[in-house]
Amino acid sequence: MSRLIRNCIYLGKNTLRDKTFFFWSILYPILMAIFFYTAFSGIVNQEFEPVDLGVSPDSYFVSIFEEIEILNVHEITEEEANEKLLSDEIYGYVDNDLNLTVKESGLNQTIIKQILDQIVQVGGLNVPVEQVDMMVDYTISNNQNADTLIIIFYTLIAMVSTYGVFTGIETVSLIQANLSEIGKRMNIAPLRKSDFIISGLVGGFIMNVISNTLLLLFMHFILKLNLFTEFKYSMLFILLGNLFGLSLGMMIGSSNKKSTNVKTLIAVAVTLFLSFLSGMMSPDIKIILDEKIPILAKVNPISVITDNLYKINLLGITDDIYEGLGAISIYIIVLNLISYGFLRRKSYDSI
Amino acid sequence: MTVYKYFIKIALRNKGIILGYTIMLLVFALIYGGTGSEKIVNFEETRLNIGVINHSNGELSNTLVEYLGKNNNIVGTKEDEDFIKNQIFLQAANAVIIIPEDFEEKVINKEQSIEIFRDDRKVETYQTQNQINKFISFANATYGKGDFDLSNVINALDNSVDVNFVKTSNGANQDINRWFKFYYNFVSYVILAIYIAVIGFVMNDFTHMEIENRRKVSSKKFLNYNQEIYLGQMSIAIFITSILILGSVIIRGSQLSEVHFSKYVLNTLVFSFSALCLVFLINNITNNKFFITGMSTILSLGTSFISGVMVPQEFLGERVLKIAKFFPTYYFVAINNKDIVSLLDVRYEIFMQLLFGLGFLLIGLYFSKVKQKS
Repeated sequence: MSRLIRNCIYLGKNTLRDKTFFFWSILYPILMAIFFYTAFSGIVNQEFEPVDLGVSPDSYFVSIFEEIEILNVHEITEEEANEKLLSDEIYGYVDNDLNLTVKESGLNQTIIKQILDQIVQVGGLNVPVEQVDMMVDYTISNNQNADTLIIIFYTLIAMVSTYGVFTGIETVSLIQANLSEIGKRMNIAPLRKSDFIISGLVGGFIMNVISNTLLLLFMHFILKLNLFTEFKYSMLFILLGNLFGLSLGMMIGSSNKKSTNVKTLIAVAVTLFLSFLSGMMSPDIKIILDEKIPILAKVNPISVITDNLYKINLLGITDDIYEGLGAISIYIIVLNLISYGFLRRKSYDSI
Repeated sequence: MTVYKYFIKIALRNKGIILGYTIMLLVFALIYGGTGSEKIVNFEETRLNIGVINHSNGELSNTLVEYLGKNNNIVGTKEDEDFIKNQIFLQAANAVIIIPEDFEEKVINKEQSIEIFRDDRKVETYQTQNQINKFISFANATYGKGDFDLSNVINALDNSVDVNFVKTSNGANQDINRWFKFYYNFVSYVILAIYIAVIGFVMNDFTHMEIENRRKVSSKKFLNYNQEIYLGQMSIAIFITSILILGSVIIRGSQLSEVHFSKYVLNTLVFSFSALCLVFLINNITNNKFFITGMSTILSLGTSFISGVMVPQEFLGERVLKIAKFFPTYYFVAINNKDIVSLLDVRYEIFMQLLFGLGFLLIGLYFSKVKQKS
């Protein structure tokens, strides 16, 4: 046990001095959080502005449009309308026969079309207009408490939780004689490699959890984001993410003879690509992928963590977390078995 | 041409990086293309998946469900809040409505009657709420002598206005243009990431002390050596940029005539030049692989986020855009987003990108001189 603790301390110190760890596990996630916050805060704080609509000055409907709060009516001719449509000064133009001209499809154009449809439909109902009371809301909203943008931050947390991958790569490199000087010494010294690997993993796990905590504190206190309502289960997924990252790192580290720099790049590429599929670059990607290839969210470990963080904290659903926990656990076991296969009984004829 | 040959050879050893980013771009473009193309021909409300639990089963509620089914897909659901939330989260349903037993009575009394679970992530789900309210309001308007005139309601709801698309002076189809804007905006991210990583790694190998010393004692002239290095950098840059441009031709080749394609190509070439100059600057500041990997990720992602690649420029704050103006990506995205008649309309943005390129080149040369002296 004391040997384990001693090795943990040595490897922990080694990790702390390692600039790869400092950059990828501490600095990079914080920079990413700042980028996301800067870029997406504009969307979060966006205020709804009236939709600019061009209407023919002779139109019978001008007064009706002017009464609609969400429309900003511009009385203009058809020639002027073309110019204003192209320069995005108006989103639609309505002629005397209620035909709509737009530049492209979009939300504002859809709003205009729905208003026009409603006018035509009320006319087609053949009842006095006063009888149609459109002000009543017959629905009781029970909206999904969902926020697309939060997905991005959950994805970032999920991605960073797997950044134990760098420590995994480093630990494995340290014990392989063909990859590092320490590895050469390790192989001729009467030391058990398994002790060293376990110490490396425990040390790496602790260091990465600390770096995750720094990111969470930064998000909470500096960016003022309240991401967690259910801390216990959230931490469970973050911790499993750490174990997954370490296992993936061990697998990448042991499976090939490339340099640590190249392996780091492979790790960054793999985690970045999985995060991209989980919606980190754009929430729309996740929405579209979930719609078209739903199985992807179940097999992509970063998606599994993101989805569960989302469900646990925003929807308050904790019943089916075991599916996600199980999926990541299977990944961890499989990756470790593969790494074991690569590492066991390795001997070198020449180095 | 030994230097040039080895430059290309080492660069192509990093094919994993080129392939990885290119595949990411193409996957992104294909996914986006799938949704974008549907909007080209039609201007229709999106068909949503709606779950319905109907406890009323009266004529009014059945006609409502029938009406919703005409414009949406009705999917199965269960009256269990957790199940519904999960179903909406997984997008198996975009909205779920629960119609109560005393629906007709509540409608006549103009009371809130239908419980609706909507997916806030999809703004289109507001349309379900609108459809329900419109249907009930219309039904109520026809209510008389203890009955609703539902066939009249359905006939009225079938009416809609015609939508025409404005003809642009350059003949560009706006919906197709949207895909190209998206694709080429994302290209800037990929170009920066690949250029910095691939060319940076090769330069790292060439500036290795042992190699440098060997070069110094060889008969190879420094000028010739540099010429071959820059030729190698340009060849790799042209190769990567061509792949990316080719990607758009393969995916949307049949629609090239409907957009101002030359604008996108010219813009990408100019941006590639300025990105190459940035790589030149970085390589003269450092040849540390670790730093290069970091710069490749941070600079490409960072400038993409603040310049409008990931989030449209109109949603970014003024302060963010002010910072973005110090990077060529901002001007690259601005050109992609601009509707133009001739290439002269984007001369300012092109000029700015070239200016950035020149700036990077000059600062790079300064650092190179400092390095040579030391």
